Amino acid sequence: MLIHDLRLAVRSLRRNPVLSALMIGAIAVGIAASMISITLYHARAGHPIPWKDDKLFAVTLDTRDDEPPQSFERHPEYPPFQLTYQDARALYTSDIPQHSVMMFRSGQVLTPDNHGVKPFGVSTRVTTADFFTMFDVPFLYGSGWPRAQDDAPGAVVVLSRYMNEKIFGGANSVGRLVVLDGRSYRVVGVIASWMPRPKYYDLNGWEGWEIPEEVFIPFGWGRTLKMSPHGNTNCVRRSAKMDGPDSLYTQECVWLQYWVEVRNRAERDRYQAFVDNYTNEQRLHGRFPRKNNNRVVNVPTWLAMWDVVGEDSRMQLVLGFVFLAVCVLNTIGLMLAKFLAAAPISGLRRALGARRSDITRQHLIEVIVVGLAGGAVGMALTLGGLGGLKVLMFSGRLAHSHNPDRLVLIQSFFHMDIPVMLAAVGLSLLAGILAGLYPAYRIGHLAPATFLKTQ
Amino acid sequence: MEIRPLLAALWRNKTGPLLVAAQIALTLAVVVNMAYLVHQKLADAGKPTGIDLGNVFWITTEANTSDYNYAAAVKADLAYLNSLPGVVAASTANNIPQTFSNSSLTFAADPQTLLNPSGGTFGTLYFGTDRFIDALGLKLVAGRNFAATTVGPPATDFGSAMSAWVPEVIVTQIFADKVFPKGDALGKTVYVGFINKSCVIVGIVEQMRANPLPSQYDQFATQIVILPAIPPGPGGHYIVRTQPGRRDALMAEVDKNFADLQPGRFVERLEAMDRTAEDAREGYRASAIILAVATFFVVMVTIVGIVGLAAFSVASRTKQLGTRRAIGARKFHILRYFLVENWIITTGGVVLGSLLALAAGVELSSMYQMSQLPLYYLVGGVLMLWVVGLIAVLIPALRAAAISPAVATRTV
Repeated sequence: MLIHDLRLAVRSLRRNPVLSALMIGAIAVGIAASMISITLYHARAGHPIPWKDDKLFAVTLDTRDDEPPQSFERHPEYPPFQLTYQDARALYTSDIPQHSVMMFRSGQVLTPDNHGVKPFGVSTRVTTADFFTMFDVPFLYGSGWPRAQDDAPGAVVVLSRYMNEKIFGGANSVGRLVVLDGRSYRVVGVIASWMPRPKYYDLNGWEGWEIPEEVFIPFGWGRTLKMSPHGNTNCVRRSAKMDGPDSLYTQECVWLQYWVEVRNRAERDRYQAFVDNYTNEQRLHGRFPRKNNNRVVNVPTWLAMWDVVGEDSRMQLVLGFVFLAVCVLNTIGLMLAKFLAAAPISGLRRALGARRSDITRQHLIEVIVVGLAGGAVGMALTLGGLGGLKVLMFSGRLAHSHNPDRLVLIQSFFHMDIPVMLAAVGLSLLAGILAGLYPAYRIGHLAPATFLKTQ
Repeated sequence: MEIRPLLAALWRNKTGPLLVAAQIALTLAVVVNMAYLVHQKLADAGKPTGIDLGNVFWITTEANTSDYNYAAAVKADLAYLNSLPGVVAASTANNIPQTFSNSSLTFAADPQTLLNPSGGTFGTLYFGTDRFIDALGLKLVAGRNFAATTVGPPATDFGSAMSAWVPEVIVTQIFADKVFPKGDALGKTVYVGFINKSCVIVGIVEQMRANPLPSQYDQFATQIVILPAIPPGPGGHYIVRTQPGRRDALMAEVDKNFADLQPGRFVERLEAMDRTAEDAREGYRASAIILAVATFFVVMVTIVGIVGLAAFSVASRTKQLGTRRAIGARKFHILRYFLVENWIITTGGVVLGSLLALAAGVELSSMYQMSQLPLYYLVGGVLMLWVVGLIAVLIPALRAAAISPAVATRTV
């Protein structure tokens, strides 16, 4: 029966090749548009560390002056996304969380040992020791450093995989020396391939669509070497005065990222209470003029606060589906026209004893064939379109980049994974059926006699 | 005109026309809003920078030894760059314009304004020598340039640079007008928030756009304050402007010689300014192209829908049309019939689509913080769809008009 219907469907499609091609084309274009937008959206809406949703929390305090929001602030209700040094230090004393980390991004110059290679700039994360355990950073060789090496900073460094390949040819470099800004550091660990997307632990710069830093050194170096933060430094109170290298450590300016890892929900609530207590107590000293607005948020909330998905992706998603809707409407019209034109054949089949359900089913099969064919063509269009978009959107950055990780990151924006592909197949079937349900029903319910007559 | 039978016929077979009308409605909503968005993106990308992009290039150096003498190196570098034949002017800078790096402070004509929370005007800071405005090709419209002797030596860091404030600045016209709305900014003193300093506006440049930011951040891109100071090291930025046509040769020459000129530092990046500006706008252009292409395809698909439906309706009415011709209708009448029928369908879609477009427009303008969708976009969209609808239906309608009256006498 199914084979028979399939054969009828193919024959019927071949009877009107232009009309069939238009239907398949319309579905294909609609599928491609929506698939491209889903892929782009999906790549941005990913969750980098879902297994720690109830453990990992970003900490923000509302340090701001009591002043009306600036016109360019989209969400004046959010506290600043970073902490002052004074507050980070104070929170760091808490032993409620299992792990805590304060950190910032900076940059250094790395001078390789072998004189053939020119010195080059690297991105540096200056962080306390828990960073690696907290964010589940995988190690290829060695490990991070102990907390004891944070404050009186140990001359130790953790390298990214790419850095290790570039300067040590990928060998186990633990124990060897690296020269950063003219000072030697001993390698204690090399990170395996690791690319959280987005770079949720510090979303400054391209909303986190950046690669992790290339070298990691203990937090104490920041102050010792007067390293400047390469993220955002925001002086949140009018009283702040930036007038020397130590201002970062004394003034009301936020520039540090702060995260905690707790064991369970109760611990998180205890920590929130601890943070609120801290700001209440500070208020007595004239700080925190606003009402308490301290947010201890998990990764999904954090990503939403930063809006890492972005308006463009959301817009593209809506546009993609409107596009698909136009294409489906179009196909319904064409399908209806095509079925009605071939109604005499159905009339004849009815007259010869076919039931309504037979006719409807036969047409539904035809519709599904159109949907699947449209889906296949649409998939090809999607892959082509994604390739084109990659060049269009990133040719400049692709050309500049020396770090292969950055290429991997850009590739990942356009990557179609299994769920998205399954969605494509489902969507094309759905589009085909949506487009064909009404026409197939209409044709099944026509009185046979009318169509056995001439016009 | 046979309006009544036309409407009756439409009503009897309403599914197809309704589908086309719905398609037209969605298409109108998409086209109007996307055209507006594309226009905004291209407008953001195309705003003039005030900089002589085609003849400027820049250099970033980094130190790689701890005993690197930045102050001496900057002096020698500037002397070298300014001595090259073909170079118009070279200056240091704290940030490279046309990238997204930016430092700003608040300023006000009255120091009391700065005590008031959120008082003051944002000014994006550039540290430059007396050749800075020439190195970018900015146009001085009032006052004077800095004197070479005014330019302060490099401080050890940004904070100290603020303490060692030289009380002279050159600002953009937009900044001047914002702080002194009466237009008398030249020679006036402005006060600076956060660092408790003041300075005198000695010169005004016509225009400079620092960053390719979206229009809602225009204040950071266009309100610019230039200080006569060499920025703190040890990494340095240089901006060099050459005579027309000599940039590329000079870039190659500088690239070859610059690294060896001073021990202890290396060239991290050397790039033409037009390239930098272009790369920074890549995102705008890419989104504009994506939206434009998608919108074009939506219109195309709609045209296919109109043509398909009209062709079907002609084919299924061949015999009636033949009969009408046989009893006296002229080709023109048949043509008119289809054009009017299509116009009615399109108009139905357009009415619904206008509502959709306005609703989507409200949503979009709040999403992108743009001004409301101007109504002429809607009017333009409606006119376009009327024309597109008529063109799409023309071929099937002409075919209908060409049906021979003899068809009436045949059976199928």
